[in-house]
Amino acid sequence: MTLPTPYGKVAFYPGCALDGLGKSYDVSLKLVVQDLGIPLEKIEDYNCCGALEVKNVNTMAGILLPARNLALAREMGADAVVSACPGCHYSLSRTQYYLTKYPKLREKTNVYLEKMGTKNYDLKLMLVHAVEYIYNTVGIEAIKTKVKRPLTGLKVAPYYGCLYVRPKSYTLAGYMKMRDDPERPFFMDEILKALGAEVVPFEAKTMCCGGPHVYSDVEVALHLEARILKEAKRNGAEILVTDCPLGHVAIETNMEKIAQKYGEDLRTPLAYFSQLVAFAFGHSPEETLLTANITNPMSVLKRYL
Amino acid sequence: MPIPELEKPIVKGLIQKDKVIVDGVELDGTWNAFMIERTQTGYDPTVWDEIANTLEGVTISACWQCGTCTSGCTMREYDPNYSPRGFIDLARKGDKQALIELQNSLWRCVSCQKCTHRCPKGVLVEEVVHSIHHYLLKHGLVKKDPGTVFDELFLETVIKNGGRISELTLGAAAAKAGMVTLSLKDLINIGAAILKGGLIKDVLRPNRVKNWDRVQKVLEEAMKEEVVPE
Repeated sequence: MTLPTPYGKVAFYPGCALDGLGKSYDVSLKLVVQDLGIPLEKIEDYNCCGALEVKNVNTMAGILLPARNLALAREMGADAVVSACPGCHYSLSRTQYYLTKYPKLREKTNVYLEKMGTKNYDLKLMLVHAVEYIYNTVGIEAIKTKVKRPLTGLKVAPYYGCLYVRPKSYTLAGYMKMRDDPERPFFMDEILKALGAEVVPFEAKTMCCGGPHVYSDVEVALHLEARILKEAKRNGAEILVTDCPLGHVAIETNMEKIAQKYGEDLRTPLAYFSQLVAFAFGHSPEETLLTANITNPMSVLKRYL
Repeated sequence: MPIPELEKPIVKGLIQKDKVIVDGVELDGTWNAFMIERTQTGYDPTVWDEIANTLEGVTISACWQCGTCTSGCTMREYDPNYSPRGFIDLARKGDKQALIELQNSLWRCVSCQKCTHRCPKGVLVEEVVHSIHHYLLKHGLVKKDPGTVFDELFLETVIKNGGRISELTLGAAAAKAGMVTLSLKDLINIGAAILKGGLIKDVLRPNRVKNWDRVQKVLEEAMKEEVVPE
């Protein structure tokens, strides 16, 4: 028995990240929705949304790749698409924005979609991030009732990443009650508080990690990541909680370099918010893949076992 | 405000000519003084036209030059030459020379979207800046930068890899292109994560879209299309 959602029928767009190093996000998110009794049906045969890169190379490719996923979701009869990765959420929303605004582009896109073997896309989808989806569908009280392993006293810094609410012209953040605050998001804070964790003041919530340039402009990326970690440390956070696989992986894989360059004490373990939720719901560290995170969050979490 | 190098700078004032003949009559005294032409040339109005005619760049015309984008810009803190407001200003004037001089900054946008988000006029600043950069690349005015090399590598990896990528496939492709430098400790850490997370299967046999060949053909056809905002 699954609960109905305020979004109607929901299709889940995992995006490539959740098949790669973001697998622990994927696995734990599935556990969380299962426990909460809300549906999360994957879009079959989805393709890469082009993230932040493809649109810079070719305009049509930047529109068409996300459009194909949206069309596939409509084929499933979905009313909303939930994405776990803010990058995917952004690129799908961007395509939705352009297709809504430019009718001729929409016609062209639909011609290509048909050639690809999918249906026309009719723009009837609402695009939602996984944090918003959980927060709006079940509410904080329902999350509280499921907690079997309260994370009392755990000091967490929730890191949302830049694209979770930005830009408002694409994500419509701030225009609707169901959207998070575009400057100071708080949905993930509330979810973490419901687990019993203590959310430290953390103003770097939506600061950029330099993700798209981790390869091409690595010095700046390291500097930006170090600032996020410094801000978390300064406020006494024991663990950085993320909802963005790009930011998560970028910070995790660069942790050694950051520590060497900006000081050893910046080493902070990272976990996806869904991993913490699943852990608090009573799942083991192995099930939630908390043991597989590069920065080893279990060093902090083992006191709750 | 730099003035295009190839043109003569603006010289203010008058010039006095030694000999002036009008209709066969030689003039003298103050009649021989002429004002120097003060029209500034060297700006290319087609830059604005071309950018405003792309899907990403169409909102360039709405800019008020208030500077909200630049004042909050993430990149600005690290590169003092980086200025979305400035790029838009130069592109609208058509000052190619100044834009070319800024080529080491122009590509460095990290796509954090603060500029677009906060613009009071609804300019899609991040997209416009990419559009300006793309204009310069397209016309061969600037050399290819690491950011563009990576973006192209990304698209290529998506196409070659059957419509999907992972950090692993992308990382492998970037390493092949000589872009990634990982220490031994990083490699050990990532390797351990791959093993513990059961990702080893995905490394050996990455996911692909089922009917990718068909999609790829259409995608490659579509990529040749010129898109205009209408």
